[in-house]
Amino acid sequence: MNSNDGGAELRLVVPGDQIDAPPGTQPGSGVCKRGDSLVATKLGELKIGGDVAHVVPTFTKYLPRSGDLVIGYVEAVMNNLWFLDVGGPFNALLPMSLAPWKVEFGAAREHMGYGDAVLARVMEVDETHSVVATMKGVGLRKIKEGVIFEMPPHLMGLVIGSKGRTLQRLKAASDCRIINTQNGRILIDGNSKGIAIARKALQMIEETGHAPGLHSRLNSILGDDE
Amino acid sequence: MVQLVPQLLRQQLAELAANDERTDGRSRWQGRDVELEVDILYNAEGSAKVVMGDTIVYVGVKFDTATPYSDRPTSGSLMTGAELRPVAHRKYEPGPPSPASIELGRVVDRGIRESGCMDMESLCIVPGESVWRVMIDLHVLSDGGNIFDACATAAIAALRTATVPAKRFDVGEDFKLELKSTPVMCSFTRVGGRYVYDANEAEELGGDERVHITLGDEGHLHSLQKGLKGVLMPEEFAEILAQAGVRCAELRELIHSKEA
Amino acid sequence: MMGGYGDIKLLNDDGTRLDGRAVDEMRSVEIKAGVLPVADGSAWVKHGLNVAVAAVYGPMEAHPRKIQRQDRAVIDVRYNMAPFSTSDRIRPGFNRRSREISKVTAEALESVVLVERYPRSKIRVEIEILAAEAGTRCVGITAASVALADAGIPMRDMIVGVASGKIEGVVVLDLDKAEDNYGQADLPMGILPNTGEMAFLQMDGDLSIEEYNLACEYNYKAASEIHELMKQALLDSASRGDA
Repeated sequence: MNSNDGGAELRLVVPGDQIDAPPGTQPGSGVCKRGDSLVATKLGELKIGGDVAHVVPTFTKYLPRSGDLVIGYVEAVMNNLWFLDVGGPFNALLPMSLAPWKVEFGAAREHMGYGDAVLARVMEVDETHSVVATMKGVGLRKIKEGVIFEMPPHLMGLVIGSKGRTLQRLKAASDCRIINTQNGRILIDGNSKGIAIARKALQMIEETGHAPGLHSRLNSILGDDE
Repeated sequence: MVQLVPQLLRQQLAELAANDERTDGRSRWQGRDVELEVDILYNAEGSAKVVMGDTIVYVGVKFDTATPYSDRPTSGSLMTGAELRPVAHRKYEPGPPSPASIELGRVVDRGIRESGCMDMESLCIVPGESVWRVMIDLHVLSDGGNIFDACATAAIAALRTATVPAKRFDVGEDFKLELKSTPVMCSFTRVGGRYVYDANEAEELGGDERVHITLGDEGHLHSLQKGLKGVLMPEEFAEILAQAGVRCAELRELIHSKEA
Repeated sequence: MMGGYGDIKLLNDDGTRLDGRAVDEMRSVEIKAGVLPVADGSAWVKHGLNVAVAAVYGPMEAHPRKIQRQDRAVIDVRYNMAPFSTSDRIRPGFNRRSREISKVTAEALESVVLVERYPRSKIRVEIEILAAEAGTRCVGITAASVALADAGIPMRDMIVGVASGKIEGVVVLDLDKAEDNYGQADLPMGILPNTGEMAFLQMDGDLSIEEYNLACEYNYKAASEIHELMKQALLDSASRGDA
């Protein structure tokens, strides 16, 4: 990967590595302070830009943040709420009042049951990491059709591509509706041939995304660019 | 931990099945590439590692001496243990062996035992007093689907390259464990309504019952097991049995190619 | 276990050890990261004839609730020896030894992982010893550290597991099986290579203060050598793109 960050310095670091940065540089994500110096806390690429040093991790799990668009699976149903597995360290709570339907108390199960998938938004994450999700909002709904591909969240940038071009190409070549979410779950909906193409491209990104030559490998799956 | 089965996954697998396709692009009876290594662990008298897609298993063979059963004073014994430890998947929990791991050990054990590939009489040290006990331990490190075939393949490969440590027990010189044949297991899972060979992780998660078939050198059946909820018709069994014949022969060739 | 001094010869006449190593020489070490496809992070370490594999799952919701901590993640370590890992087969299941090692390993890792980032959650660390030739707890700690880094768990440093000991009255680095069985002391340590802190410390046998100091010096030297291999394994895995 070449640097496009206009002079930002790139190198791979492992946890514990001391970071050489100009005095006064602040620790960003994946970086902490040890005395007066900065130390990497994650495996990944070090970026120093402006007065902040941070590490773009090679691998990371999804950590919910408010505003995130996510795909969750119903893990449990109570009388008045659903628990959603959003692939993070804690499940999310979807109260009846934030569902898109008018739900009678005790009738939550009639709308969504165990194993159902939903497109939702993270509304709130408090300090103890309790997560509340909502289905009130444009496009948020129970997912009835399509295929969900699980992409490690740190590779979502590659799926989207610069200025969203890779995602556009995926949609065009597969003729599918593709919804990418912050928790790495990608909904692909269309005919089976298109789904197969999209899945093949995503699988390739998952397995070899960081290796050089991604563009030409995408071409061989999606057909030539333009 | 009970794993969540997404409804969409079941729906997707059914659609793929209708088009005779699979999630990873394989054809219905096509297995994943199998990597087999033998004699890889210090301290095990026989060992093998099998990698099939995301599945990785190790099998170790150990020996010790024991008193024979009084009704079979010259016959050695065989024991197969399996542990589905939490290392292998987030769905596995610590604790005493689960029914699933006991089933795995017993199905692999039956295929080897009932094929008669081991001459139990050759494991006699002193009739009525002392015989060799052969202990196979199946150790799954990564469960990416079809751990049964991976374990059975590694187990027979480890046995076929094992050395009996007679010297360490002061009962003569070490010798190669003798095996007369190579029983091989093939497993089929119902996915999207029809059977496929060598199911992967997603296919197992969204699939139904599975059938394990162990065939000997002559193509005879040595062990069968139907596991998980679901039912099958005799015609379906006939179809997968025919496929098992082909697959087992290929795996047997791979196992033999690792023997010095 | 200790105290067979005098019965068994562990040093050659020229001062080298039975396997030809110098007193301050460690066994060969090989490390790979990202070896288990299903785990969130993993590592494989071969140290002499020891083989250890570590898998990390999480952070995930901590169950049962009673183990949850409101202010931080808990690290749930299981150190386990495969039944075929030793010369006499081990009966499967937890025993007192593996419980103790799991406990102190978890506490060592909790001192480097930024656990306060993940309140109420759990990080599972599974250490499997596939072949044992003395020093497995140290190999397990090294493997667990690499697996945690591979899983993207934030840590202020990694931990390197190393051990020195004493045979025939001589301090030596990295005991092998015979030296462990018939030697006079064993000093396993978990060292933070960048800060020099100790996160894991055990010892049994008989060491004078001078001998302890020398053993300690050997351990720090070995830790910096192994640390380089840990870093390389992670960098290789990161540049392969499938970490």
